[in-house]
Amino acid sequence: MTELSLTIIFIVGFLALVSTSQGVLLSRASLQGFLTYLAVPIVIGMAQMVVLCIGQMNLAVGAMGGVSTAIMATQMADHKVSIPVALLVGFLGATAMGAINGALVVLTQLNGFIITLGTMTILLGVQYRLVRTFTIDKYPTSLPDFGKKNIVGFPLILVIAIATSVVLSMYFSRTGSGRRVLATGGNALAARLSGVSNSRSVFIAHTLSGALVGVAAIITIASLPGINRSIGGDWMLSSFSAPIIGGVLMAGGTVAVYGTVIAAGVIRLVDIARAQYSLDPSIVSLTVGVVVLSTVALSEWRRRRTVRQNEGRKVLPA
Amino acid sequence: MLSLLTVALFIFFGLKNSAFFNADFVIYPLIRDAATLSVIGLAQLCALSIGHLNLAVGRMAAVSALAAGAAYQYLHVSLLLGLFMGLFVGASLGALTGWIIVKSQVNAFIVTLAMDFALLGFVTYIYVTFTGATTAFTTKPAGMEFWRNTSWHQYCVAGVCGPKIFPMMLVPAIIAIAVIGFIFSKTRLGRELLSTGSNLRAAKLSGIPVDRRVITAHLMSGLLAGLAGIMLAFTNGSFTAAIGSQFMLPSFLGPVLGGTLLAGGSVAVLGTFIGTLLTLIIRQGLSVQGIGLETLNIALGLVLLTALSLGQIQKMFTAIRMRGRT
Repeated sequence: MTELSLTIIFIVGFLALVSTSQGVLLSRASLQGFLTYLAVPIVIGMAQMVVLCIGQMNLAVGAMGGVSTAIMATQMADHKVSIPVALLVGFLGATAMGAINGALVVLTQLNGFIITLGTMTILLGVQYRLVRTFTIDKYPTSLPDFGKKNIVGFPLILVIAIATSVVLSMYFSRTGSGRRVLATGGNALAARLSGVSNSRSVFIAHTLSGALVGVAAIITIASLPGINRSIGGDWMLSSFSAPIIGGVLMAGGTVAVYGTVIAAGVIRLVDIARAQYSLDPSIVSLTVGVVVLSTVALSEWRRRRTVRQNEGRKVLPA
Repeated sequence: MLSLLTVALFIFFGLKNSAFFNADFVIYPLIRDAATLSVIGLAQLCALSIGHLNLAVGRMAAVSALAAGAAYQYLHVSLLLGLFMGLFVGASLGALTGWIIVKSQVNAFIVTLAMDFALLGFVTYIYVTFTGATTAFTTKPAGMEFWRNTSWHQYCVAGVCGPKIFPMMLVPAIIAIAVIGFIFSKTRLGRELLSTGSNLRAAKLSGIPVDRRVITAHLMSGLLAGLAGIMLAFTNGSFTAAIGSQFMLPSFLGPVLGGTLLAGGSVAVLGTFIGTLLTLIIRQGLSVQGIGLETLNIALGLVLLTALSLGQIQKMFTAIRMRGRT
C-alpha cells in the first residue's frame, strides 16, 4: 500500500520535474547525477532500517560512515595500501563498529539510542583525528573511475546499492536468522518464549547496520573526488526519513526494503526540485521533517482504525 | 560521590596547569556554560522523568531564541517581555510535541526526532528569509550586556560582595533548578510525573491523568529548552540558527551522570547541575592542557558510556544482593 503510493508519487514527481525542466533532467549528465547520488541514501536508509526493525535506532550511522571512509582514504593515501584491501579494511571497520554498538547494547541492557549517542561522539572525535582539516584525495584515480562506471546505462554504484537491498530483502524473507531478528522486534517476550535469543538478534541487527554503513562508505569514497571531515554529517536525516516514509514501523518487527529504496528516490526528487527552482536547502529538511511526522501519525491512525474494525468483528486485536 | 569526583578533577586540572584557575578566562565562562547546559539538562530531565526522550531540545531552544530575537528586532520589546515570548513559544512547542505523542501513541523518540527535522528546516528557512546573508537577529535589547558580562561581584550586601566567578547567567539556572527541584520533590504534579514514568499502567489505575501528565512533561521540557536557548543567545550576543545545535549530547550527559534514570521514575535535579559541571571541567581542563577538539569528543563519549555501564553494573550488584537475601 505504502510502497504502491510511493511508487506512484515517485513516477509522477519525476515526470513533473522532467516536464518543468523542459527535458533537461533526461539529459545524460543530469540523469547520471540523479542516479549516482541516489545510491548512498538507499544504503544508509537500510542501515537504519535494520536497527529500527528491532525497535532501536542507530544515531552513529553518519559518524561510522565518516570514520570508515576516513580509514579507507588514509590507508590508500598515507600507507599506499591497494584499493581493494583499503576498501575491505574500511568495510570491516564499519562492521566492527556496529558489532561494538550491538555488544554494548546487549551488555548494558540500555536503549540503543543512548549507546549510539555515546559511540557517535567518540567516532566523531576519531574521524577528526584521522582526517583533521584536510581533504584526502591522493589515492589512485582508478577508484573515482570505478565510481563513474556504468552497467547498461545505470551507474555501477547504484547497481551495488540495489544488489545490496536485494540481498538484504532475501535475508529477512528467506533465512531463519532474518526472521528471528524480526521476531525479536515484533514482540521480544513472545520471541524469547519461542526460543529466539533476543541478545543475538540485537547484536546481529547492529552488526548488520555497521556492515551496511561500510557499503555506503565504499559507495561514498568511489563517487566523491576526495574525503574530508564533513562526510557523514548529513546522513542522519536521510537514514531515518527513507525507512520511516517507506513504511517501516517504529515499534519494530517489520522491514520494508523496497519502500525504503523508493522513499530514498522520492527524497532525492525533493532535492532535485530544490536545485531546479533554486530554493534554500533548509526547505528540504523542513519538507522531509513534516512528511516524516505526518507519515508516522498517519500510519498509527491507520493501525488503530484496523484494530477498531477488528474489534467490531469480534476478532481479537493482534 | 559525583560531587567529590568533580571537586577532585577540578583540583587535579588546576594543579597540572595553574592557568585553569584563571577566574576571568576559564572559571567564569565555565560556570556560565554550566548554567546554560544545566538548564538544557533539566529540559531533558523533564522528558526522562516520564520515561521519554526529547531529541528536539536543541531545536526547541533554537525556535525560542528565534522568537525572542524576532521580538527584539521587529517589535522592539523589552528584555523581559521578549524572554517571556520566547519561553511561551518553547512551551507551546513542547506541549504540541506531547500532544502528538499522546494522540498518535507513537514512541516519543520518533516524534521528537521528526519534530527536530521539521524545526531544523523551519529555523534555517526563517533566518535566511528574514535576515538574508547575516542569518542572525542582532538587535540587543537593553540589559542584555548586563546578563552577558557581569558577575555577582557587582552586588554587595553589608560590605560583603559576591564572588567574581559567579556570572549573572547563574541566576536563571538557579531559579530553574529550584523550581524544578521543588516540583519533583514537594508537589503532587511532580509525584504524578514520576509515577507515570515508573509504571504507566499503575499510574493510570491509581487515577493519575497520564495523558495530561505526558503533555505537561513535554511542555516543561520545551519551556526549559527555550530558556536555555535564550540564555545561549544572550551569551553569544546574537540570535542565530546555530543555537542549540550542540545541545543534544550535553542534555543527556548532565542528567545521566547526575543519576537520572533513563527508564523514568527517578530524577536528580541538583545532580544534573553537578553532572554538567563535571563534563565542562573535563572539557575545559583538557583544552587548557592544549588537547584538541577530537580528543575532547572521544573523552566525553567515553565518560557517557562508562557512566551508563557503571549504573548498570551497580544495578546488577543490587539485584544479586537482593537475591542472596531471599
